[in-house]
Amino acid sequence: MERIALRPENWPGTADEVIRKRLLIDGDGAGDDRRINLLVKSFIKWCNSGSQEEGYSQYQRMLSTLSQCEFSMGKTLLVYDMNLREMENYEKIYKEIECSIAGAHEKIAECKKQILQAKRIRKNRQEYDALAKVIQHHPDRHETLKELEALGKELEHLSHIKESVEDKLELRRKQFHVLLSTIHELQQTLENDEKLSEVEEAQETSMETDPKP
Amino acid sequence: MERAVPPAVPLGQMEVFQALQRLHMTIFSQSVSPCGKFLAAGNNYGQIAIFSLSAALSSEAKEESKKPIVTFQAHDGPVYSMVSTDRHLLSAGDGEVKAWLWAEILKKGCKELWRRQPPYRTSLEVPEINALLLVPKENSLILAGGDCQLHTMDLETGTFTRALRGHTDYIHCLALRERSPEVLSGGEDGAVRLWDLRTAREVQTIEVYKHEECSRPHNGRWIGCLATDSDWMVCGGGPALTLWHLRSSTPTTVFPMRAPQKHVTFYQDLILSAGQGRCVNQWQLSGELKAQVPGSSPGLLSLSLNQQPAAPECKVLTAAGNSCRVDVFTNLGYRAFSLSF
Repeated sequence: MERIALRPENWPGTADEVIRKRLLIDGDGAGDDRRINLLVKSFIKWCNSGSQEEGYSQYQRMLSTLSQCEFSMGKTLLVYDMNLREMENYEKIYKEIECSIAGAHEKIAECKKQILQAKRIRKNRQEYDALAKVIQHHPDRHETLKELEALGKELEHLSHIKESVEDKLELRRKQFHVLLSTIHELQQTLENDEKLSEVEEAQETSMETDPKP
Repeated sequence: MERAVPPAVPLGQMEVFQALQRLHMTIFSQSVSPCGKFLAAGNNYGQIAIFSLSAALSSEAKEESKKPIVTFQAHDGPVYSMVSTDRHLLSAGDGEVKAWLWAEILKKGCKELWRRQPPYRTSLEVPEINALLLVPKENSLILAGGDCQLHTMDLETGTFTRALRGHTDYIHCLALRERSPEVLSGGEDGAVRLWDLRTAREVQTIEVYKHEECSRPHNGRWIGCLATDSDWMVCGGGPALTLWHLRSSTPTTVFPMRAPQKHVTFYQDLILSAGQGRCVNQWQLSGELKAQVPGSSPGLLSLSLNQQPAAPECKVLTAAGNSCRVDVFTNLGYRAFSLSF
């Protein structure tokens, strides 16, 4: 009877599903199924058996088979529990990984922005360096200012000297002028005096030659 | 035993012609679409190819995604420069500038929206337009090229408003200084001139070749590339690639690169440059070479950084030059792959 039920043509529904389920569940091989069938058969035999001892030994055998069946059932239940918990665990880990992936994406976007910022900063620094190099070529402003000041002072000093020299020159010139003009005047006066004295002498001689009118 | 020799398959005329074309191609200009997902490249045959960056960068990219989704003949001569507004692609070549609608191009309808020619002094000369620059504040486009002048064109009305004269030889490159709306132009005469857009006058002139630190007389005095960051400017070409402080007009750092550079740009805290030589060079402002990443073309003419906010996944650097390939760098450290015409 069971054999007929076991035939795949008689199974209701999709044969594949059932085959798959059976193959999955029956991890222990045909052991469990056979054991249950054997138990049922031995129970029937035991009910129909006569003698006491045989009946007792058969009874013991049946009890052991029963406990074996219970044991394997317990094992299967535990495995089922374990599978459920594993599934939960995996779900949890899956969610965590999803969160960390999203977090990593955000960090990547942040870092990209930071890179752009850093590149801008680097560019500014390099521009600054380039200009600084050019500026270095030119001499220092303080030094040039100092040089300018010193030159200015020298210039002032020299112009002072020039002024004083010119003043001296003017003074000398004026003094010489005065001297020369005085000399000329003296010369003039001397010449005048000479002329006067000549004229006087001439008058005197003419008066002597013509005394009595 | 005789080895069987496979019979030679005669290549059709068309295939030979196309292979020769690809061999001799030079890509002069690139431009990214306003949505950030497409790249336009213009070559010396006057063709513009549109590549889909999002397809090429996606995880299931195949060989075909690295080919253009549409190629069309835009100009009769080479397409020297291209620029994108938020709806249009503007391309310029020999003498005229044409506009295309991005939406139309992506649907493979390649009809130009309009074409304009700046007023040239004589009608005989058809000078090439080497550089295009968009000024978003006044919604205008600046063109500069072979006739040594900068022409400003208002994008709404299409009229040419100013012609800035001052250069004595043709102009290679333009850059916009955002804070005070000034345009910098560099040309064959070796001078970088700053023009104030409001007064339409030349504000400052920097004659690069006259400075001993950067001049290289054996290369010439031409300025091939310009980039500006408001207070600072990088220029290169015949003279060495140098960083200038604009306010004081002094060269601050000379980058030790032998080969003349054809394109330079500021990016974050680096300066990217490319020119003769396979590599894209990355410099720090202090003059140190941070990295040199080789590309696939023997010489590079243009670099393009896709920084459109609408497509952050397509944020790549593309480099193109003396070959039919456009190198794509997803990370500045190495070349990821190449798109090809």
